[in-house]
Amino acid sequence: MEPALRDGDWLLALPLRRSPRVGEVVLARDPRAPERLLLKRVAAVGDGRCTLLGDRPEASTDSRQFGPVPLGDVVARAVFRYAPLGRLGKLRDRD
Amino acid sequence: MLLTRLLKPSLVAYAHCDLPCGVYDPDQARVEAESVYKTLEKYHASTDEHFKARAIQVKEERAELAKHHIDVLWSDYFKPEHVQKYPEITDLCWKAAKQCSKVKQSLDINEAKTLLDLIDKIGDVWTKAGGPTATRMAKQMARA
Repeated sequence: MEPALRDGDWLLALPLRRSPRVGEVVLARDPRAPERLLLKRVAAVGDGRCTLLGDRPEASTDSRQFGPVPLGDVVARAVFRYAPLGRLGKLRDRD
Repeated sequence: MLLTRLLKPSLVAYAHCDLPCGVYDPDQARVEAESVYKTLEKYHASTDEHFKARAIQVKEERAELAKHHIDVLWSDYFKPEHVQKYPEITDLCWKAAKQCSKVKQSLDINEAKTLLDLIDKIGDVWTKAGGPTATRMAKQMARA
């Protein structure tokens, strides 16, 4: 997910009570290992499922490999980075 | 520090998640192909039938390992984006895997040489695609 997110970033995530929107960074259960949480960007939503993609396709494992993710497994939206302090700030959605 | 402990996130999420480990390097296949090459050299230099029989067995095992490593690169490392940028990689991996089978069937050292060359070409694409920094760990990291 670089450069939007880097390894070790501390993020604030809010529970998602609505459907995710395209361009948002969300926390979702990994379809291959449900106890594991993924951070990916929503690329498409529809039919009770959404497509999640990493920002760097050449380095990302995402819906291209594991397929669309049920909306029920998208648990939260990452909204803010509070550490490292140098990169403090709101996470931007992408169009 | 207490403040850091309070602020520390309670959940860990994975943004880069190439399971299982994300470490890929064509050198893994190359080392096996080098073994094949050197084993064939020793085979041809020897007159000992027992040694020659063992050499054939070792050569075939190593060729199979090389094939496995090429398959892993092809199916796990190279992504559609790489193929788009370096279209030759499809043919290279296919040819290299087939060359491993050829090496298993043959005692001709030139077949082993062809395999090494194909693996090197895969290595060139892997390097151009940023493989060394994207998939390998820096040396001496464990000491830090």
